[in-house]
Amino acid sequence: MAHQPAEPSGFSARPRSAARLFPCGQTRREFVWEMGAGFVGVALSSLLGDDGFFTRHAQSATRAAAEGPLAPKRSHFTAQAKSCIFLLMNGGPSHVDTFDYKPSLAKYAGQTLPPDKQFTNSGNRKMGFLTPAWRPFSPGGQSGLMISDYFPRIREHADKLALIRSCHTDSHAHGSALVAMNTGSTFIGRPSLGSWAVYGLGTKNQNLPGYVAIMDKRGGPISGQPNWSSGFMPASFQGTLFRPVGEPVLDLRGPLDRTAQREQLDLLGRLNQQHLEQRTGSAELAARIESYELAYRMQSEAPEAVDLTKEDQATLDLYGVGGQPTDEFGRNCLVARRLVERGVRFVQLYSGGGHLEDTWDAHESVEKNHGRHGAEVDQPIAALLTDLERRGLLGSTLVVWGGEFGRMPFAEGEGAPGRNHNPYGFTMWMAGGGVKGGISYGETDEFGFAAVENKVHLHDLHATILALLGMDHERLTYFHQGRDERLTDVFGNVIRDIIA
Amino acid sequence: MPSPPRVWLIVGGLALVGQLGNGFPAAQAGTPSDAAKLWSLTPVARPALPRVSAGDWAQSPVDNFILAGLEAKGWQPAASISRAKLIRRAYFDLWGLPPSPAEVQEFVADLRPDAYERLIDRLLASPHYGERWARYWLDLVRFAETNGYERDALKPGAWQYRDWVIQSLNDDKPYDRFVLEQLAGDELPDATDQTRIATGFLRVGTFDDEPNDPLKYKYEQLDDLIHATSTAFLAVTLRCARCHDHKFDPIPQVDYYAILNFFMGGRAAEGPLLAYADAGREPPPVQLLQGGDPTHLGEKVSPGYLSMVSALSRPVHDPPAQARSSGRRTQLAQWITDRANPLTARVMVNRLWQHHFGEGLVRTPDNFGSLSSPPTHPELLDWLAGQLMDGGWRIKRLHKQMMLSATYQMDSTHAREAEYSQVDFANNLHWKAMRQRLESEPLRDAMLAVSGQLNPVAAGPSFFPPANKESLEGLSKKGAEWGNSPLHEQQRRSIYMMTKRSLLSPLMTTFDFSDTTQPCSQRNVSTVAPQALALLNNEFVHAQSKAFAARVAADAGSDAKSQIDRAWRLALGREPSDSERQEALAHLESQRRNFAARAVEGGAVLDDQQAARQALASLCHVLFNLNEFIYVD
Repeated sequence: MAHQPAEPSGFSARPRSAARLFPCGQTRREFVWEMGAGFVGVALSSLLGDDGFFTRHAQSATRAAAEGPLAPKRSHFTAQAKSCIFLLMNGGPSHVDTFDYKPSLAKYAGQTLPPDKQFTNSGNRKMGFLTPAWRPFSPGGQSGLMISDYFPRIREHADKLALIRSCHTDSHAHGSALVAMNTGSTFIGRPSLGSWAVYGLGTKNQNLPGYVAIMDKRGGPISGQPNWSSGFMPASFQGTLFRPVGEPVLDLRGPLDRTAQREQLDLLGRLNQQHLEQRTGSAELAARIESYELAYRMQSEAPEAVDLTKEDQATLDLYGVGGQPTDEFGRNCLVARRLVERGVRFVQLYSGGGHLEDTWDAHESVEKNHGRHGAEVDQPIAALLTDLERRGLLGSTLVVWGGEFGRMPFAEGEGAPGRNHNPYGFTMWMAGGGVKGGISYGETDEFGFAAVENKVHLHDLHATILALLGMDHERLTYFHQGRDERLTDVFGNVIRDIIA
Repeated sequence: MPSPPRVWLIVGGLALVGQLGNGFPAAQAGTPSDAAKLWSLTPVARPALPRVSAGDWAQSPVDNFILAGLEAKGWQPAASISRAKLIRRAYFDLWGLPPSPAEVQEFVADLRPDAYERLIDRLLASPHYGERWARYWLDLVRFAETNGYERDALKPGAWQYRDWVIQSLNDDKPYDRFVLEQLAGDELPDATDQTRIATGFLRVGTFDDEPNDPLKYKYEQLDDLIHATSTAFLAVTLRCARCHDHKFDPIPQVDYYAILNFFMGGRAAEGPLLAYADAGREPPPVQLLQGGDPTHLGEKVSPGYLSMVSALSRPVHDPPAQARSSGRRTQLAQWITDRANPLTARVMVNRLWQHHFGEGLVRTPDNFGSLSSPPTHPELLDWLAGQLMDGGWRIKRLHKQMMLSATYQMDSTHAREAEYSQVDFANNLHWKAMRQRLESEPLRDAMLAVSGQLNPVAAGPSFFPPANKESLEGLSKKGAEWGNSPLHEQQRRSIYMMTKRSLLSPLMTTFDFSDTTQPCSQRNVSTVAPQALALLNNEFVHAQSKAFAARVAADAGSDAKSQIDRAWRLALGREPSDSERQEALAHLESQRRNFAARAVEGGAVLDDQQAARQALASLCHVLFNLNEFIYVD
């Protein structure tokens, strides 16, 4: 990735050295920012760069107010990725059965994990013997990356993937681990990755939300809303839930037809205009008037964005739309492509919803669980990579795959076919968006139990995703309650080795 | 050499962008000697009323302070607001509800000199006052009724804490007692179930019943209590001293652990109440955590108070021989509410001012430290703080003093708006009133009130709003955990709505409901298209529009002009202008035709009366969407 310094805008920027000190390290400047952020009306980012703003504030503020807090902003530095699609495998897929090839597990089969390996036994479940992968691995592409038979189609794209096989996280429990994967903290209440992305970069298409989360039909992730919340940031940065069934966005359609609604909006506009004219210097009123026109456009654009009848049959077939078990995730992947095509900044797709076996939470049987969920997502994800590439979107779209943690190399009980949670080592992968393809980064130990080489913590992962989108995780700050908050807290190292 | 960074500053809805050069000194770590320099730590002064020349403008001592600031610049305050607008402002301020047309009419016609004072007294005496103002406190104490996280379990009885806050405000409970009961209601000699419920303050935060690292989580829970206590009562960012000495305020790390002692021995109280209690009379000792890391124990730290408040340096006493509790939280509350504490009264009067005037005199209501915005009117802040303490810590007096001021009664526009706003865009000098947008609760409540559907039943367990299928998609256990309340329950005021951390009502969060995990001193005010979508399409809004139309038709009969007048009075508290009336008439006519035509297309028959009723609902719906409905002048 080219690191051409560009003038940052829209950030409470300061020298990197100072930023490294501590997020409590506040300058007066950021306090000024907080003063504004505390009573945000409308973020008028297009005024950035305007000079003599005091003299022209009324007109330009009105104009800029119309653009809203999600107006596109310049990144910290030039980056290939403009959008991100995060494929979240809810429940924690087993790395040793999918992307982390551990032939030595066959050698140790029937033995216990050496006693010097300390871990928390999540949920105090039974512990059995080390167990090899439930499906065979084979090399994919020119790179020969080893990928198991749970993902034969994704394996065909091995040369696009950067496997990160040394991930580790801070919690063994779904609720807090999911929140950590999304916000960097195991404690609910912080802005999610997508919120940081749209806070930092805005979004290109003002007729669609900048940050979309698409749930699995079986249910949302454990902990619910905090997973796509904007935390202490304004609501404008929170994820918009696109529903897998029915209307994509809440309240997108009401009982009135468009003629009747247009009639209402015209009256509303005229009455609001009269109200505005009696109140000078009221940019917040003007901004709200404009928000209705935007809402009106969103009503037509959002259904269009998810309207798969616009796709040809070959494309539908590619994603497995209309076939089982791929139909649902295939649709969601295709919707994700249509959204990034239309300028949506951040899309998160959940595979697995609700609890236990409806997610990737393979306590009972890896083969049964991963066989089921793998078959649901393998073809759609492979299709997404193919489709993005043939449309020339892969370079500008970062695809991230992974769960909130991995699974243990030993069985859940003697001779049992399931595996328990493992936050000490797991695999995630990235593709497109300026990522090197066909590489593997980091290692777990010979059991696949814990990350040992080039360890990648969630903060590192988040720092890398932001970097691929053109943002410096140390400079992307939001001042809140006396603290200069970052997605990565005081941590995070960008994994330079996977960036092209 | 990099150029100075640009900063965008958003003030009262307008963003200002400027380049800040080296005008601000680089911040440095606080040292104890800084305490003497920090404005908020100086003793509360007893300022004399400033002399002003336009003496006839002032109606309350508050005005002398404001007018003195304006006169120093040669500026004039904004004109007085009309009576009809004043009663609307006062109602939303104290009740979070609009006045009825009759109440507006009566007030406008009441020419007695004390009519306005009588209005304020009446509003303050109503239980609706507590329902409005308790919400601000619930935001500050990160109130919600579930734990959050995987199981997001209900906290049984959390609603009792909510009711305790409402009742305390309605009773005009002295603020020092209000603080004491929340921190130590279990330790009081006159403890009752109600004072124990008050300690729910220490229980309503998030709770992870499956923490990854129980030791670390123990300190997280303690940190939550420290953060809530120091933010709500003191506006001090004590949390910043958890891992190191505070970077800017004179708070050494050891002070954090001295305060941590007050909560160290606490736990959930036994019994049916959501209450807090000490496990015994001798809490375990506290050791400083190096870098905030529970595995790196440092020196032992005894209980103590914030050393920067040097006027209040005193020991923490052991409990009396017969006590079952450590008595520490009682002592902390007494320290907080000691009249020599320079923060407590200032912080509280600032909150009152903030909610009445749109911004605090200190514009960083959750931070009175070195990075605070110093008070725009320091003498006024101290005068008000003195009033609070001298008046027995009673809050209703303060509301009244603020609202009786000419400052409060100013219009939200100024004849010289363009000129003044160039110099003082943020309205620091209070040359006009600040237009306020209704928060999610008064917005929803106002729709219910105007439609005539509001169920005024107070107190008791929360109701569940209808959660449609789509919004349940975000829950991991879809629908299983969502209660079903009958319709009349769902028409209660928003403060009685269930707040489930994993499924906050989308209608409320769209309008910047507090996030419930952290103390919230000031809500965001965002303006985004999903808000417009919600008000245009949400089922609740349509249901209220229909009820509103039915009410209008019942009140005004079938004459369109009478209907329009009635609808305007109900929604906006005023008559429509001629041009508004013409616009509304045209709307009724064209919507009537639209609906009739659509019915024909659909093969149905819509009689004239039905079409007219739908058209009226459409007009009522437009009124709910008006800027004038959601912004209070």
